[in-house]
Amino acid sequence: MSSRRARAIVIVISTLTIALLPLVVQDRFLLKIFTFVGLNALVVVGISLLFGYAGQVSLGHAGFVGLGAYTAAFLVARLDLPWLLAMVAAGLVTALGGMVLAVPSLRLKGHYLAMATLGFGELMTLGFKEADFVTGGVNGFSGVPFPSVGALVLDTPQQLYWLVWSVVGVALLLAGNIVASRPGRAMRALHGSELGAQASGVDVVGVKVRAFVLSATFAGLSGALYASIVGFISPSLFTTAASVTFLAMAVIGGSNSLAGPLLSVVLLTLLEYLDALVPGISRTTAEVIQAYQADIYGLAIIAVILFAPSGLAGMWRRTRSTV
Amino acid sequence: MTLLKVKDVTRRFGGLVAVDSVSFEVHEGTIKALIGPNGAGKSTLFNTLTGFDRPDLGSVTFDGTELIGRAPRAVVRAGVARTFQNTQLFNQMTAVENVMVGAQAHQGRGFSAAALRLPRAMAEDAESGREAARLLRLIGIDEWSGTLGGDLPAGIRRLVEIARALATSPRLLLLDEPAAGLNATETAELISTLFRVRDSGITVLVVEHDMGLVMEVSDEIVVLDRGAKIAEGPPRIIQKDPAVIAAYLGEEEPDDE
Repeated sequence: MSSRRARAIVIVISTLTIALLPLVVQDRFLLKIFTFVGLNALVVVGISLLFGYAGQVSLGHAGFVGLGAYTAAFLVARLDLPWLLAMVAAGLVTALGGMVLAVPSLRLKGHYLAMATLGFGELMTLGFKEADFVTGGVNGFSGVPFPSVGALVLDTPQQLYWLVWSVVGVALLLAGNIVASRPGRAMRALHGSELGAQASGVDVVGVKVRAFVLSATFAGLSGALYASIVGFISPSLFTTAASVTFLAMAVIGGSNSLAGPLLSVVLLTLLEYLDALVPGISRTTAEVIQAYQADIYGLAIIAVILFAPSGLAGMWRRTRSTV
Repeated sequence: MTLLKVKDVTRRFGGLVAVDSVSFEVHEGTIKALIGPNGAGKSTLFNTLTGFDRPDLGSVTFDGTELIGRAPRAVVRAGVARTFQNTQLFNQMTAVENVMVGAQAHQGRGFSAAALRLPRAMAEDAESGREAARLLRLIGIDEWSGTLGGDLPAGIRRLVEIARALATSPRLLLLDEPAAGLNATETAELISTLFRVRDSGITVLVVEHDMGLVMEVSDEIVVLDRGAKIAEGPPRIIQKDPAVIAAYLGEEEPDDE
């Protein structure tokens, strides 16, 4: 099948590009930007499962990023636990959090679920500020050591880049396998018609809970990686604005797709660092773009909803079907 | 043999008694029709039979086991599948994918198995695909298998929904107005599909307004009016029943819709 072949070629080329990038790009700052792209991608892959496939909206996912970040930071920096163990713990804690947030989704839909998850995110931010004996409060939590396994410490920009993108790769592989088979169909069914899904014997509760747990875990791991890469975290990183950005990336990327959201994460994250990426760009242009970043996201979402309701992925699918 | 036994089922919404102490039985291997004017309580009754709604009183036993209190998924897994008056297809999925969702009703959720591409999960997926393709052929709509649910014409949507319900391997199939929106040719095809379904050993309970279809396919008919059963029997008797004629032609009373 030619479309399957085209897909395989795109996957191989993008994997190679991402894997070999640090050999070409030596600039520390640029590599750091591309590492952040990976961290956002990890969160957005999860949100794509939850929102793009299962149709469950969340405006609170930055709360999970923060939960994972503080869990890992506390375990490594304060309790001196091994980094790998802290990562696993951060994943488990956020998975549990995802299970908790799944509860309102069993009763609420659409706007009401959006409000409930928004409330969850706000509560988490408040918690990060107030629980200062663990989190350091508004002053933040500093001194998180670099990732390490035994005696091996990953502290160069290249190593950290590869670490993050390896995790993204595994997450994408698992997510891709899930959406391509039975649970993927169950999620899309739930998205299409909850009544129809129930009548077809879909375990609606089980599927919703798993979609929340998976997406929360991916977000938590992203936060945990962020904490140990940057070394410093504070509540201002994990706000509702960040949750909206993640959701925006998933919406612009398109539903029922992982590749679309991935592309959208890359483009929108890089937009933030335009001045560092495009050498000739004037300072004012870059400043304007950065100052109006939230507005650009907003306009992009409106444009997507008006002109391309299924996002980048939908535009791609349409061009292919008309050719 | 009695496959479904509905006994004294009552459902109230505030002061309105939507279903009023309705009792009837459906015998295995037959096609039974449930008819009545708009607002007679047919869809409400369907919802109480399939776990989508819970009656205030009464019992529904399927092959000896109580269905009341079970979630829709449990009802499906017990062997009772349904379609909807307003078709509930998955619009972003192709016809064959829609039917595959039904075919996986008896399998687990399978998140981990799918994430790791375990051979068993892959084999079950392939089996669901084959079963879905077989049913689309059986219903005679396999040419639509690659079309998205949202792009299907109304008549085909109804048939895909029937195929999806059949994919759950039911012993009893509940159809809510399957002929609504169908033209004469499509209705004729639906009728032959219903006979084929019955001949394959599946019992059918159908809510329908198309009297031609009802009279042709059903072995027995139950008539509801304003929530209560007013008649039950074979088509020939029902056609001549004065209470039924009165309910349909209307008396000097406002419409209860």
